[in-house]
Amino acid sequence: MNQTTRRYCAVVLAACAVGAAAVLIPSLGDAAGGGHAEEPQATRGPTLVAASVCEAQRLKARKADDSRLSIEIPKEFDKPWPSLSACESHDAAWDEDADGPMQPIPFSHAHHAGEFEIDCQYCHSATDRSRAAGMPSVEVCMGCHQMFPAEYDELEGIRILKQYWAEKQPIAWQQIHRLPEHVKFRHNRHIQAGVDCQQCHGPVEEIDKMHMVPDTKWWFYGLPTAKLEMGWCIECHRDNNQQATQDCVTCHH
Amino acid sequence: MPDLDRRDFLKLVGLGAGTATAAGCSDPIEKLVPYVVQPEEITPGIATVYASTCRECEAACGLHVSTREGRPIKLEGNPEHPINRGRLCARGQVGIGRTYHPDRYEGPRADGQATTWDDAEARLLAAVQANPGGTWVLGASRGPTIDGIIDAVVAGGGLGGRVVYQPFDGSALRAATEAVFGVAATPQFDLSGADLVLDFDSGFLDTGLSPVENAAQFAAARDIARHPDGGARLVTIGPRLTMTGSNAESWIPAAAGSEGALALALARAVASKRGVVDAALDAAIAKAPALSAAATAADVDLASLEQLVDAIAHAHAVVALPPNPAAAGTNAVAANAAVLLLNAVAGSVGSGVKIPRGPDPRAAAPYAEVQALVDAMNAGQVSVLIVHDANPQYSLPSASGFSAALEKVGLVASLASLVDETSVEAALVLPDHTPLESWGDAEPRAGVRSLVQPTIRPLHDTRAIGDVFLVLGRGLGVSVPSGTTRDIVAANWGGGASFRAALVRGGSFSESSAGHASVETGAAGAIGAASQFSGSGDYTLIAYPHSYLGDGSGAALPWMQEIPDPVTKLSWRSWAEISKTTAERLGVKFGDVVRIDTGNGAIEAPVYPRGGIRDDAVAVAIGQGHTVGHYASMAGDGSPGVARGANVAALLPAATDEGGGRAWLATRASLTKSGAFQRVALSQWFDNQRGRGLARQVSLLALAGGHDDDHEGPHVIEQPFERANDAAPGDPYRWGLTIDNDRCTGCSACIAACYVENNVPIVGETNAIKHREMNWIRIERYIGDGDTEGGEERRPHPDREVLGGEVDVRFAAMLCQHCGSAPCESVCPVIATYHTPDGLNAMIYNRCVGTRYCANNCVYKVRRFNYFDYGYDNWPGLLSLMLNPDVTVRGQGVMEKCSFCVQRIQLARQPAKDEGRDIRDGEIVTACQQSCPTDAITFGNTRDAKAAVNTRVDERRSYYSLHMLNTRPGITYLAQVKRVSEESHS
Amino acid sequence: MTPPPPATAVADMAQSSPAFQDSKINRDILNPTRYVSLPWLGLLLLAVLGVGQAVFSLGYQTYVGLGVAGYQAPVFWAVYIITFVFWIGIGHAGTLISAILFLFRAKWRNAINRGAEAMTVFAVLTAALFPLIHIGRLWKFYFLIPYPNQRGLWVNFKSPLLWDVFAINTYMTISIVFFYVGLIPDIAVARDRSTGLKRVIYAILCLGWQGTSGQWKAHTRTVLHLSGLATPLVLSVHSVVSWDFAMSIIPGWHATIFAPYFVAGAIFGGFAMVLTVMIPSRRIFGLEAYITDYHFENMSRFILFTSWIVGYAYGMEYFIAWYSGVEAEQTSFFLRAFGPYWVSTWIMISANCIFPQLLWFKKLRTHVPTLFVLSVIINIGMWFERYVIIITSTSRDFIPGAWGLYIPSPVELSILAGSFCWFAMFFLLFIKFFPIIAITEVKELAIHEKYGGAH
Repeated sequence: MNQTTRRYCAVVLAACAVGAAAVLIPSLGDAAGGGHAEEPQATRGPTLVAASVCEAQRLKARKADDSRLSIEIPKEFDKPWPSLSACESHDAAWDEDADGPMQPIPFSHAHHAGEFEIDCQYCHSATDRSRAAGMPSVEVCMGCHQMFPAEYDELEGIRILKQYWAEKQPIAWQQIHRLPEHVKFRHNRHIQAGVDCQQCHGPVEEIDKMHMVPDTKWWFYGLPTAKLEMGWCIECHRDNNQQATQDCVTCHH
Repeated sequence: MPDLDRRDFLKLVGLGAGTATAAGCSDPIEKLVPYVVQPEEITPGIATVYASTCRECEAACGLHVSTREGRPIKLEGNPEHPINRGRLCARGQVGIGRTYHPDRYEGPRADGQATTWDDAEARLLAAVQANPGGTWVLGASRGPTIDGIIDAVVAGGGLGGRVVYQPFDGSALRAATEAVFGVAATPQFDLSGADLVLDFDSGFLDTGLSPVENAAQFAAARDIARHPDGGARLVTIGPRLTMTGSNAESWIPAAAGSEGALALALARAVASKRGVVDAALDAAIAKAPALSAAATAADVDLASLEQLVDAIAHAHAVVALPPNPAAAGTNAVAANAAVLLLNAVAGSVGSGVKIPRGPDPRAAAPYAEVQALVDAMNAGQVSVLIVHDANPQYSLPSASGFSAALEKVGLVASLASLVDETSVEAALVLPDHTPLESWGDAEPRAGVRSLVQPTIRPLHDTRAIGDVFLVLGRGLGVSVPSGTTRDIVAANWGGGASFRAALVRGGSFSESSAGHASVETGAAGAIGAASQFSGSGDYTLIAYPHSYLGDGSGAALPWMQEIPDPVTKLSWRSWAEISKTTAERLGVKFGDVVRIDTGNGAIEAPVYPRGGIRDDAVAVAIGQGHTVGHYASMAGDGSPGVARGANVAALLPAATDEGGGRAWLATRASLTKSGAFQRVALSQWFDNQRGRGLARQVSLLALAGGHDDDHEGPHVIEQPFERANDAAPGDPYRWGLTIDNDRCTGCSACIAACYVENNVPIVGETNAIKHREMNWIRIERYIGDGDTEGGEERRPHPDREVLGGEVDVRFAAMLCQHCGSAPCESVCPVIATYHTPDGLNAMIYNRCVGTRYCANNCVYKVRRFNYFDYGYDNWPGLLSLMLNPDVTVRGQGVMEKCSFCVQRIQLARQPAKDEGRDIRDGEIVTACQQSCPTDAITFGNTRDAKAAVNTRVDERRSYYSLHMLNTRPGITYLAQVKRVSEESHS
Repeated sequence: MTPPPPATAVADMAQSSPAFQDSKINRDILNPTRYVSLPWLGLLLLAVLGVGQAVFSLGYQTYVGLGVAGYQAPVFWAVYIITFVFWIGIGHAGTLISAILFLFRAKWRNAINRGAEAMTVFAVLTAALFPLIHIGRLWKFYFLIPYPNQRGLWVNFKSPLLWDVFAINTYMTISIVFFYVGLIPDIAVARDRSTGLKRVIYAILCLGWQGTSGQWKAHTRTVLHLSGLATPLVLSVHSVVSWDFAMSIIPGWHATIFAPYFVAGAIFGGFAMVLTVMIPSRRIFGLEAYITDYHFENMSRFILFTSWIVGYAYGMEYFIAWYSGVEAEQTSFFLRAFGPYWVSTWIMISANCIFPQLLWFKKLRTHVPTLFVLSVIINIGMWFERYVIIITSTSRDFIPGAWGLYIPSPVELSILAGSFCWFAMFFLLFIKFFPIIAITEVKELAIHEKYGGAH
């Protein structure tokens, strides 16, 4: 019952989010270094000077779009990385107005799982063995990131990560996909059964700031059931031509 | 937990029930906090198991500690360990609670104020340096390594000395062994080969030298499958029917303290029957009293003794177990020596009774030494007293004057990890780790070295006792080994590979061939003394060790308080056991309070009249009456500090036996009715099964297929149906249980295991009084087949025991039977309980609305209701950290019951499914089965003909509980075997 | 049964003109609704206070947990279920009087049927609360209702408790409709004789009743059909309730006799309750002219009759327990009479079987004070009947090792008291605002008396 209410809340929040997005997209453009509004002046206007590598990357990108643009990139900012996508996803993952809670680190799934196609289980390594998917330890993050050149420290997320590592502090992530305590979900069973992560977690590889992607299944008698509600699980277990169990005690014990 | 969490919120809106839906958005956001560096052996959601050692008693059983995300959540026996062979007793099971206990010291304290370790240790060092000679260490043995450290510091630092204090110092037995066999060691008793066991009030099944080990041996010796004749008979000799005695065939109710004389007389009588070649032995038993004299002294009828003599003479392997420390009086050495001589006469030395080659490594000091220290304290000769692993303030008799002496000590430093009566008196508290947090080892007997390793990072700012002494030693300039306790343990275990091997195995086990020894010529000197009783009363005061509380250290653990005592089924309090005759004489009924006065002090306790105790005795369990502690005190679930029950140790005189050991059984007491009435938590009111066949018995004759004349009921109990049928047709499984009542000793280890495994809450005394215990498995105790008498009483209590003679106590574990046609399932309006395809009677807590119809309709009365929000309220402090994450914590207002450990079934499915096979037999072991010392419980798939659960079913004994109701239970009971035969008849 | 002697008052009216007689009856009967009498106000105040404290207790119980009630294993059902069965039973007499006696054209019912119907409705409203008060998770009560939900879960149609849910709701609906339909013409009368806001409200409630012959035709037919619908409920509802126990396996519950046994008991207790409420209200509002000893006598006959049925059931339970040869049954019944709960058992037997025998004497049947005392005794007895059935059976069942005793807790008693106040509150409000006697039916009777007398 409170599930339904949560669904309503979700709808309302989503509506707000859409509205907010509509208002903010232009300002986003500005944040990205010069919106379309500046476009005409840019053609003859003053030379745009990059103040950071990320800005340089963006200017380069725009230059690539229209050659008339005159840009100047100081030596120290003329670096191959952080790459444009890194900068973009970094900012996107910390966009306060996007769905989902603010995380201690602007980690972009789109960047890691999408662009670089890092396998989900590289970080969530227990998924195929254990009930819990497992969150990567700081060590796992640093495994790659300490090999990265210093320029990456321009990104605040990287700096925070390295700080955690230096202080040997764990990162307290906000949980997004949460089941009640009386539900004993097993990741390994579903992985073994060949269920894609996306079926429950949504198109993670396209999401910068992680949030729950709403999904609704419909009972034959026309009652909706939202993601991570019991009916939503059951529907899948039924469709699955009786492959999956429907025994209550499988999940409730 | 926030002040108003979702549950409470729901409750509030539940009042205007219509709006309950508004709760949706109030789910708290949880945080996911992964490791910084994840240890490779740890996977979230998968248990990691470490081998360690149980420190709850001196037996030192091996442990397998299963941890989840770095938290120990369950203790199980280490199968490789020679002492317990994978089993564990109730006390061992709940030992895990100490680590998360609300009573723990969170850091060092000085003069009642929290302080830093540097400061605390500086204070201690300064005080010791001021007067090393006046510094004494008082505490129990902590195993070779740590004892070694302490001794090194004591010796090297020129300290006054160390007194190894254990309330039950086994010194009498040790002295007796030295006198008889010339070795000052504790003999090792092996019952596995015995065909006659004489229990001189030894309590070997619950409070003896090594309960788990002996219980397993006892069960093996009686295994009806291997011994068609019924195997070992047990004769118990003592003033009171103990839990051990309840398993006996016959009971000779000898007067308290007369066991020694009796044993000696028996030895002589048997010797004269058999003839003994050993001259020394002859000499030793020469001046033994005649059987008749002994019978008079012990106030038992001669015939029963003569039968016993015959039995011993005809038996092949007799093992006589000496009285436990609390059961022996001022003649304890003589009594123990007499029992050892009886063994010698019976020729069981070397087989049933193994005498170690060398003396015990670090034996507890006899009580006399403790008294000497107390006197020194009184004389002001002790400036610093370091107390560790002991609670003398509680366990020493008030007559010893310890508490007064404590005042005179300059600095009292306590190394307790849980608050106790002594540590609250201490000016300096340097809290120790709990066993699950610390390094150490134990050597229960020569050749068996067991390792203690930490399984969790210390939860509080505590420091290992070894490290404290190392710091102290270095401060005193003693040349102690470098490094921490861990390094020294590692070094003592050979370091490197051998240490790692020991870590994996839990120790190094090479049973030395401890064995035969011949009787010393001077043995006669030890015997003959008679027991002396101080005090003037008409009743002998029997202060016996409680099955779970031990010397009182168990009282802090709520499970040990709540699980009912196996014999009386009482919990949460002290009670005074008196005979029915005595009760009539005093004009008291069950629950009426009497005053017990010994001249050394007086206590008040509600009486429990029973047939199982002599008229001239009153028995009170040791272990209650604490004045501090969250669970140990708090009588009536009140506030801490209100003593729960009474401390009987305070009543005892500071008496010693011939060897200077502490004599517990040394005073008489007078009883007076106080007029008050005390409601007591009695979990079972009736021990009369009214002939309903709940706990059945089959005579040997019937087993042999002969005619069963002295016992009604069919020989082969018919099988009304096949339990394997009660599951989905296609399903490979129908889970079931086979419980062998013949092996069940009533020790309740299964209950404790279930509590810990399944997050079963403690309800406390006030609710226990109302029969609201939540235990999923209980052990019912019936006497005989019963008749249709009784049940009308306003104040009912068990009343069918008789004094002496044939013992017919039936223990029957009662838990959810997972009926094939369960009465509870059909009546649940919301299908919160239903039958799974694999034949479980499942209970879905989050679907339950709490109509309690199922509980009414359950004919076995095994369903438990959450009357309060136990899930949140009953895990104070850090106790909630020990909750099993695989088991839902039940909320207020839902029903719960035994689930056959369904979480373990689900766990076992994982590998089976991955490998595309069925679950193998033995892959699933329920918590109760795992713990049972006598292996009475077998779980398995009844559809697998070769599964142990089926193969162990013995058609001649198997029956279903209340099968006439056609509930088609999934649990098959195997009837107890009636072994009473002419020689043990009386 | 003796033919109804012409009620004196009715005979008088028969002499005078219809108009006047009409108005006299109206005046007499609507009298209570005119002014606020102090005793009435005092009683109402008491009732409201009683309900208030019960609500507080319920809140406490819901928040802290059911442990505040006196449950002790193995007794998992107690005062709440007892009281639930008690009130359901009370309701039956009303339906019997208003439906069955209507179909049998028993004229003596006319004076009491309105009060009885009201009592039914309020009793059912009271009873319906108790299953909710009883359950452990009040805030999950909706699990008990079969409705399509996102969980895809349904209720267990095998469970007698679910049958209860249906039985109670049906009974509540029918009783309320029946009560209301019967009320319409009288509300119209009240409307005509009232002014201002009251008039408006009455006008809405009486659905524009004009007393045209067409409306009368429809009305009579509706009442007829509703009685037809209500009649089986008299038997079915309490049978279903009895199955809560009969379908169970507990010794003392598992009996085939339960359905008729409970129905008889319900009517027995129900009639007693009718007396308990009618006697005082007749006194307070001076309706002696309409509710006469003649009515009381007939009800007494009914009570005497049903008392014998109940007594037979008690006896038969014991006989079957002995005859079955099942030790558990025999023990259960032996301990019922001589065990820890012997007091409640003997209260039940004496109040339900022995005292009613006084009604053999016509003097006592028509002696109002005696009837009142007796009716109260019977109500107590019927409550204890359920107490005995539920508590003694569960406290001494199959596992002697698990036997226990039960003592009600203050919280339970306060909610029990609250239920009576709740009932009284409704009834007091009812007699204040609606005619306690069916005006139209009394008029009918009067007119019969006038033209040609009884038939």
